[in-house]
Amino acid sequence: MVKRVFERPLSWIERIFFLDFIRGLSITIRHAFRKTITTHYPYEKLTPPKRFRGFFGHKVVDGKEPQPVFDEWVERFKIKVEPGKSRCVVCMLCKRACPVPQLFEIEGEKLPDGRRRVSVFNMNMMLCTFCGFCVDACPVDCLFQSDIHETASYTRRDAVLNLEILERIGRDWQRRREEEPDRIWIDDQQRQRLWYENQVKLPEVKR
Amino acid sequence: MEGLLAWLVITLIKIVVILAIVLGVGAYLTLVERKVAAHIQRRPGPMVVGWHGLLQPLADGLKLLTKEDLFPRYGNRFLYNLALVMALVPATLVFAVVPFGPEFEAFGIKVKPILTDVNIGLLLVFALGSMAVFSIALAGWASNSKYALIGSMRKAGIIVSYEVVITFAVMGPIILAGTLSTYDIVQNQIDQKLWYVWLQPIAFVVYMFAMLAETGRVPFDVQEAEAELVTGFTVEYGGMKFGLFPLVEWYIEVLSLSAIAVVLFFGGWSPINIPFLGFVDPLFFLGPLSPFVWFVLKVSLLFLFVLWLHWTLPRYRIDQITETAWKVMLPLTFVNLVLTAVFAPLIWR
Repeated sequence: MVKRVFERPLSWIERIFFLDFIRGLSITIRHAFRKTITTHYPYEKLTPPKRFRGFFGHKVVDGKEPQPVFDEWVERFKIKVEPGKSRCVVCMLCKRACPVPQLFEIEGEKLPDGRRRVSVFNMNMMLCTFCGFCVDACPVDCLFQSDIHETASYTRRDAVLNLEILERIGRDWQRRREEEPDRIWIDDQQRQRLWYENQVKLPEVKR
Repeated sequence: MEGLLAWLVITLIKIVVILAIVLGVGAYLTLVERKVAAHIQRRPGPMVVGWHGLLQPLADGLKLLTKEDLFPRYGNRFLYNLALVMALVPATLVFAVVPFGPEFEAFGIKVKPILTDVNIGLLLVFALGSMAVFSIALAGWASNSKYALIGSMRKAGIIVSYEVVITFAVMGPIILAGTLSTYDIVQNQIDQKLWYVWLQPIAFVVYMFAMLAETGRVPFDVQEAEAELVTGFTVEYGGMKFGLFPLVEWYIEVLSLSAIAVVLFFGGWSPINIPFLGFVDPLFFLGPLSPFVWFVLKVSLLFLFVLWLHWTLPRYRIDQITETAWKVMLPLTFVNLVLTAVFAPLIWR
């Protein structure tokens, strides 16, 4: 059954003295003298939450890889592990998971000592929908999405992330936010801080 | 000959001063409007150009001036440009009869700070006010665009309704003052120790409604209606021509009608009034400048009130607007007029 709700009609006193106008006016004047709630964007920037799905990056080998998965994949593909380089094991799972697979351009190379490593890893951000499936698919926690959201560029070439850029983003991320606890709710003090205030030492995470 | 020359010089000075003040202030009111609107919506508004965006109107003006001047195909170029003139000239001409302060003496010459103290000043104001409808109708017609035409027709409908109402609304103060000259109306209010708003609250409310309607302010901004009509009759204008219409409609006209409202209802340059007893002047220390400050203060307060209303209220439909004009406002003004005409002579004569 539909319940019909009617607005109460204005009484004559309200009509004559414009009481509803006055109510509205009092609300706006109260808001007019309060503090503004905006961020002056190009001058102040909010830090996005850690789960923000921005530009991609490659986490680098720093001894914090997920074990034993990482060692298993390295064993299987005979990957050459270099500290400070990408964790990528060239399994192509990211490409398989991607709704637009042609945006990935992944190649591995065989080194003289018989081991392999990733040589080309291009992501064309013009095609990306930032859905994050590739991140979910990555078995070694290598590919991830950072908080970089200012992605405008002057050329299309700049929208292609190559291995070097991905590693740079990854190193920056690991230095900056890797240890940060993963908060997603709005009472997040970390997020309310401005970007440039965010160089503080992050709290210890108890494992 | 000497007298004529002095009169000419004084008039020229007055014209230049009034034009400079009106157009300069009109440009800067855009900033005021944007700031007020922003703070009501809890934004800071323009902050980048100059300190708290103080140079923003200049930047906007530069931007508008350097834009390409487009003209719609199959439009009427003569009427298209004539509409601009018809919008700007009557709106600024109203300031010719606005008294800014009492008569003062400078270098042995008595100067009234009013451009022409004609004895039908108020008639002139409302005659010029109804010229606004021509500019808008012409702008809509010459643009050869249906949105512009719809906007201008709506505006014409509103103005035709509210011209009648506003004329009857100001009848009350005119009867109380017994004159049509704006300067004498203020002088009479000072002599009678009474702001007419105390005796004419209905007329004042109706005047405010009509003022909002004539200047196309919210709640009566159906001719702009940015959601439905983009911006109504200014749609086909570009560059500074586009900038001029809101400048005239929203700022110069509001300013002139606020000034007339202050003259009619708030005693022009007189300080705060206690009805029938006298005037209290908290700004006495300004000496001879105090009347001018009072006038500017009242006009700006009224203008801010209009802005406040603008950013609070939603928009009425065109039929509701005209219905209010003809069915509520007009009978109210008739009642007010009759009551004033009956009781005013009883009180004063």
